[in-house]
Amino acid sequence: MNWIAPVAGLVVAAATIPPLLALYFLRLRRSRRTVSSTMLWRRATEDLRANAPFQRLRLSILLLLQLLALALVALAIAQPYADLGVRGAQRVVLLIDRSGSMNATDAGAKGGVRLDEAKRIAIERVRDLHGGGIFSGAAPEIAVIAFAGGAEVLAPYTDNAAQVRDAIAGIRPTDEASRIGEALELARAFTAVTRPDDPDARPAAPPVIELVSDGRIEDLSEQVLREGERLAYRPVGKADATNAGVASVAAARDPDRPDEVQVFARLVNWGIEPRRTDVALIVDGDVRGLTPEPVEVPARLGDGRPGESQVGFPAIPLPRAAVIGVRIDADDPLPDDDIAHVVAAEPRALRLALVGRGAFAIRSALDGLAPAELRAFSLAEWEAALAQDPTLPERFDAVVVDAEVPARLDRGRFLTFGVVPPLPGFEPYGTKDAVVVRSTRDEHPLLRYVNLDGLWIGSMLAVAAGADAETVVDASEGAVVLAQSRGPVALVCVTFDPMDSNWPFQRSFVNFVANAVDWLAANGRPITEEALRPGDALSARLPPEATRIALRAPDGTRSEIAVPEPASFAWGPARRAGVYIASWGSGDTGSSRAFAVNLDSAREGRIDAVEELTIGTEQVAGQSSSGASRTALWPWLILAAIAVLLLEWWVWLRRS
Amino acid sequence: MTRLERLDQMIDPQVMAMLDQLDIVSRKIFSGKIQGERRSRRRGQSVEFADYRPYVHGDDLRFVDWNIYGRLDRLFLKLFVEDEDLSLVVAVDRSASMACGDPLKFDYARRLMMALGYIGLVNHNRVTLCAFGGPDGVARSTAMRGRRRTSEMGRWLLSLDASGDAAFDDAMRTIALSRHGRGVLVVISDFLLPDGGQRGLRYVCGRGFDVHAIQLLAPEELEPSSHGVTGDLRLVDIESGTETEVTATAAVVRAYRESLDAHVAALRDFCVRRGITHTLVPTTMKLDTLLVEYLRRRGLVT
Repeated sequence: MNWIAPVAGLVVAAATIPPLLALYFLRLRRSRRTVSSTMLWRRATEDLRANAPFQRLRLSILLLLQLLALALVALAIAQPYADLGVRGAQRVVLLIDRSGSMNATDAGAKGGVRLDEAKRIAIERVRDLHGGGIFSGAAPEIAVIAFAGGAEVLAPYTDNAAQVRDAIAGIRPTDEASRIGEALELARAFTAVTRPDDPDARPAAPPVIELVSDGRIEDLSEQVLREGERLAYRPVGKADATNAGVASVAAARDPDRPDEVQVFARLVNWGIEPRRTDVALIVDGDVRGLTPEPVEVPARLGDGRPGESQVGFPAIPLPRAAVIGVRIDADDPLPDDDIAHVVAAEPRALRLALVGRGAFAIRSALDGLAPAELRAFSLAEWEAALAQDPTLPERFDAVVVDAEVPARLDRGRFLTFGVVPPLPGFEPYGTKDAVVVRSTRDEHPLLRYVNLDGLWIGSMLAVAAGADAETVVDASEGAVVLAQSRGPVALVCVTFDPMDSNWPFQRSFVNFVANAVDWLAANGRPITEEALRPGDALSARLPPEATRIALRAPDGTRSEIAVPEPASFAWGPARRAGVYIASWGSGDTGSSRAFAVNLDSAREGRIDAVEELTIGTEQVAGQSSSGASRTALWPWLILAAIAVLLLEWWVWLRRS
Repeated sequence: MTRLERLDQMIDPQVMAMLDQLDIVSRKIFSGKIQGERRSRRRGQSVEFADYRPYVHGDDLRFVDWNIYGRLDRLFLKLFVEDEDLSLVVAVDRSASMACGDPLKFDYARRLMMALGYIGLVNHNRVTLCAFGGPDGVARSTAMRGRRRTSEMGRWLLSLDASGDAAFDDAMRTIALSRHGRGVLVVISDFLLPDGGQRGLRYVCGRGFDVHAIQLLAPEELEPSSHGVTGDLRLVDIESGTETEVTATAAVVRAYRESLDAHVAALRDFCVRRGITHTLVPTTMKLDTLLVEYLRRRGLVT
């Protein structure tokens, strides 16, 4: 038998048993009796009392019963437990939450990091499962799975405690959201494996799943425990922890004043009280602005959503690329979401080329985009210039090919009208007349504010596209608009000549051309990078010379990455929030690219620990100590104490 | 226990027959109001000559012995032994402490009082009953004489009840001041008083009373351990209401007995010194035994 709180039991025993004995010394439960005079009795006892300050302790069954009841209560407070081992549980899976909320610093009495506390609990649990003396039974096999946005098996089922402990100690924090589904599937998959040499072997018994988490798990309501599965939940963190954070940051350049950037932020508050906080605007690490007065973020709503508040900063001059951060002054246990970043690219002048026929409608639409440069090439001029400078297409944000197709479209960003791109996978199979649009992918950026219901096409090319191309607009006769972004080539292919349709007369044509140029240009270098979430991959088109990249993570660690194909650089997942900087080259020729990864405070910012999990229809209460295999004995002791007290009461009634 | 409610419970007919043979004895011969059946030390007008004494101015000339005058020429008065009645006053304590015990000390006292009074009536003594203590102070019956007053005496006794405190000193003073003639005073009480009733008894001794103090004690007062007074007790004084916590161990009971013995002994010594007859009577004693043997030996009845 072991004790959880032996000191508390001793204190209670020391505080109650001596007073009970003293009560028996000093005052007894006496029966009343009326006598004609107490004078003689007083005289008789006065002498005895004068000589003996305490009466002799007389053994009494009542005293013994009361002492027994007190001893039982004191034992119960000491919380004894019988370590019965894990009989029946051959396998135990330790699921350890390493999501962003586990970085909160409110665990334990000293305010440690939750993940560290979770690791400590898990290691202690391993020790419990492998310890316990002769009554503990055989040690079970333990697997360790860390989960956040995804799950990772850190240690497969093993009875090697050192290996399990090392795996637990090696868990690194992330800022990802918390999803447990994949982890549960992994745990089940390991168990479901039967012996390969025995097809009739029964699957192993379901494992005991021990979840060490703060309980803030997104997809918990989608999960159910299967038959025979047991889940033990060990909560980490405080149930009353509050947090506020920056949910998102956006930066936009004014089209009329591209040297200025305006920054907006969305703040969230998960606390039950409104919070007022100063909000700072940080550009490349320097504070460039501060809200004139603290911003009030309302309290958490009744339906569990966070209180939100929007902040807009006045436009600041920023004629260069920069990393913009918005930081709140929140004194809460989770600092990771107190700042969010966005990467603003340098202001860019649009450069366009128009190759081929140069139809009036197309040229007008391009002029309407106010490009810094719009060069028109005949097909011959384009081919000649291309022969002289193979990188010519890459100098333009978009090359618009109208009715006449160049011989090669192997590098650059192209918008083609009425031609079949000379790219692998694109095969013409005739022409179709009198075509109307059948379906459109309205969510595609190319079709923003584009309504093709009134489009009538006199004639179009029937093109079979490869697997890399996606059909954005479709007709019964074939694809009408195709989009492809593969390697160094980005392409938007319109398979009909607009001049052979009524499209130029519709507003959707102008919007489409603008969308297409934007999409192609963005495929090269966007005005602002979309902020990534922890767990996302960093991906970008990099210059051809960026074949060896040094990536600096938010925590300052550097890693060297060899990029065989710079145009499709990808690295990840980026588990921690912050600014990642990919740099290449050196000296004057060196360049860099920043990526902002922000903790999603609107999803992961709620950090008040859950004391009782609801998984499916089952309620799983948190266990404050690692006692899943321990049998708590205090309820039995309390029952025994009550029984003894009842017996004492009965004896007293009998005697009185 | 059975409370006294009827006259026939007060005194048994057989006991009455036995009491007819008894008489109240006074160690002192007192003068009475009327001539009685008792020789008085006071010279009276009976036929039995007692003595001569010289004539003094104012003496009744009818009692001058003229024969002596003829021979001696001096006036002498003939003195005769005068028969006179005996005044018997029986005072009973009716404080709440007398309502304890089994049988009740107060019932025992009333029966004893009835028996003594009956003896007095039968022998033509002047019997006065008093009850002291309680909220009404001293209650007094009329002076009774003759057997026919027996039932009246019994009814008076039945009307008494025990309650309140004894106020023993005041009661004795009242009785002493209101006495009519001399006689025998029998005080029946438990004498469980702080001074044992000594201050009160001082009022009545030597004032013309032949005083008998009969101390009634219940068996649980004499032998508490044999009558259920054991264990851890909170004793409540029936008169004052004060509580005393007692663990009736053998040592404590022994100390109680020593204290009781000392209390009784102190009262007895006081009575001996003051010419009072002290008699300790346990209420378990039969009344006829008490009267015929015990009080006879103590000289109260003969």
